[in-house]
Amino acid sequence: MVRLTKVELRRLMARRLTAVGLAGLFLITILLLVATWFDARPLSAVEQQQAQQQYEMAHKDWGEHAQEMRTQCEADWKTQPDPKPKLEEMCVYSEPKPEDFGKPPTVFAQIMPELLQGSSYFLAFAAFLIGASFLGAEFSSGAIGNWLTFEPRRLRVYGSKLLAAATGFVPIAAVVLAVILFGTFLIVDKLGDTASTTGKVWGDLSAIGGRAVLTTALAAALGSVVGLLLRHTAAAIGVVMAYLVLAEGVFAAFLEKAQPWLVKLNFDAFVRHGAQYSVTECKTGSDGSYICDYVQKTLSFEHGAWYLAIFTVVVVLLGGWVFHRRDVN
Amino acid sequence: MSDVAISTRGLRKTYRTRRGRKVVAVQGLDLEVPAGGVHGFLGPNGSGKTTSIRMLLGLVRADAGTMTVFGRPVPAQLPDVVGRIGAIVESPKFFPAFTGEKNLELLAEAIGAPRARVGEVLEQTSLGERGRDRFRSYSLGMKQRLAIAATLLKEPDLLIFDEPTNGLDPAGIREIRETMRGLGEQGKTVLVSSHILAEVEQVADTVSIIGHGRLLASGTVAEVIGGGTAPTVKVAVGDHEAATRILVAAGLTVRADGKYLLVEGAPDPADVTRRLAHQELYVSELAPVRADLESVFLELTEGEGL
Repeated sequence: MVRLTKVELRRLMARRLTAVGLAGLFLITILLLVATWFDARPLSAVEQQQAQQQYEMAHKDWGEHAQEMRTQCEADWKTQPDPKPKLEEMCVYSEPKPEDFGKPPTVFAQIMPELLQGSSYFLAFAAFLIGASFLGAEFSSGAIGNWLTFEPRRLRVYGSKLLAAATGFVPIAAVVLAVILFGTFLIVDKLGDTASTTGKVWGDLSAIGGRAVLTTALAAALGSVVGLLLRHTAAAIGVVMAYLVLAEGVFAAFLEKAQPWLVKLNFDAFVRHGAQYSVTECKTGSDGSYICDYVQKTLSFEHGAWYLAIFTVVVVLLGGWVFHRRDVN
Repeated sequence: MSDVAISTRGLRKTYRTRRGRKVVAVQGLDLEVPAGGVHGFLGPNGSGKTTSIRMLLGLVRADAGTMTVFGRPVPAQLPDVVGRIGAIVESPKFFPAFTGEKNLELLAEAIGAPRARVGEVLEQTSLGERGRDRFRSYSLGMKQRLAIAATLLKEPDLLIFDEPTNGLDPAGIREIRETMRGLGEQGKTVLVSSHILAEVEQVADTVSIIGHGRLLASGTVAEVIGGGTAPTVKVAVGDHEAATRILVAAGLTVRADGKYLLVEGAPDPADVTRRLAHQELYVSELAPVRADLESVFLELTEGEGL
């Protein structure tokens, strides 16, 4: 099994699509860092001057009209039907502050979790695509039949292919995420704010990165299984696209309460250690009016982890069963 | 070593078409391939040859029946004997974007063969100079040679070639034939499936003929030829009409063939001359007509409605 896995790893790394995929990942990483650099750049002297002028105007306006507007607001509030919104929420006229104008400094601890989550998507997609092609091409070319005349123990063959796809992506994902993490730190350190990057922040970021590496490895293995089941790379990509559009798009929009059972939200909950989602909750008020509100909910990390684990095990077992029984022509 | 390289009993395989219709590919095949030498596995297209080979190699699951290779039941114990089997099923299939050498290196590594063996088998199959070209750029003959090189990585005792000369030019066919003959002479068992009889007749020591997934005849080439048709003699005689009347009256079958009569069913050619001479018809020429594998094959498969 170890020998077979090594052979499959060599084959994976020798494939042209893998090389193209890696080049693509490298390019996306560079683009991401360039975009971060543009985002983190402070305002120019002219822009800063404009922001100062806007602040001064807003402050002057506030000083002249805030009390008047509050009085008017309170009068309006009294005429509102029940249930009334809270007065202190409805009639807030805060004093403008200079930091509200212009561009706030980029804070490393705030932007990095989002960046890592975004990176986990493209890493997972690339891993899935390359994994699907890794096995799909073997079936579509017929090379699998020749391979089985050298090693007929199908479950070993299956295991070695999945293991190679998954382990092959661990260092790739780790390197990409490390480059994004440290590259972003260097950019923000020069142009923004890294002072709040405590040991705990680094720990949390490392955990997100570690889980993103794991989801990349899982995506590669799942891609391999789908490639094996459908015997064609294009078919595997088609299935993923159809799922994203129909289930994650259409189905999730019409049946919001089903979101905790869809892959993406669980993926987010696992990578980010919990994920927020919203559902619409409607109720009839005391005056008979029908009011709908967006309610924020949280999907726990544990839910995401169990969901992904069970999903992966089921798909891998299904693939193994099919490969074990299927005639190879 | 077992005297029998391959044995199947009651082997059966049914496929289901896309429309759900059942198609019987192999029905109760009893096959025995002796160890050593070249064994021709003959049958028309669609007779079940490739499916039988796939079942032996564990690529296709049999619905019923038993199979052994070198005395080991397969597919259960196939891993124990697979190192002794080299097989090319239908057209050679490798990773098209990899070079021939890379394809062989991966296979060699999978079975634990030393890397140096790759160079050896490439040289053996005259692919040394093209080893670093991509597989997809190979001609059909080169692909076949690469497939043979792959089988030789294992130094196998049993080689299975399924329609090995399909699409090859005459030089390629001759090359493959010589390779098979050479392997047979080295004491290896070569099972070659084909529907091209002339190709098999020239190299095979023993043959099995199948039709509709069943065994129709089996044995040495001489046995199969002798057992397939009645002895025939070609006779030149002056009065065809009178000679035919006499021989038919004696229970023989007579057909005109130009200036000759073809007489079937005479256990001894001397009977023919004796009966005709007794009626004062004298034979100017008499020769036994040797049946060939093709005529036996056609007779057997036509009898099966194939």
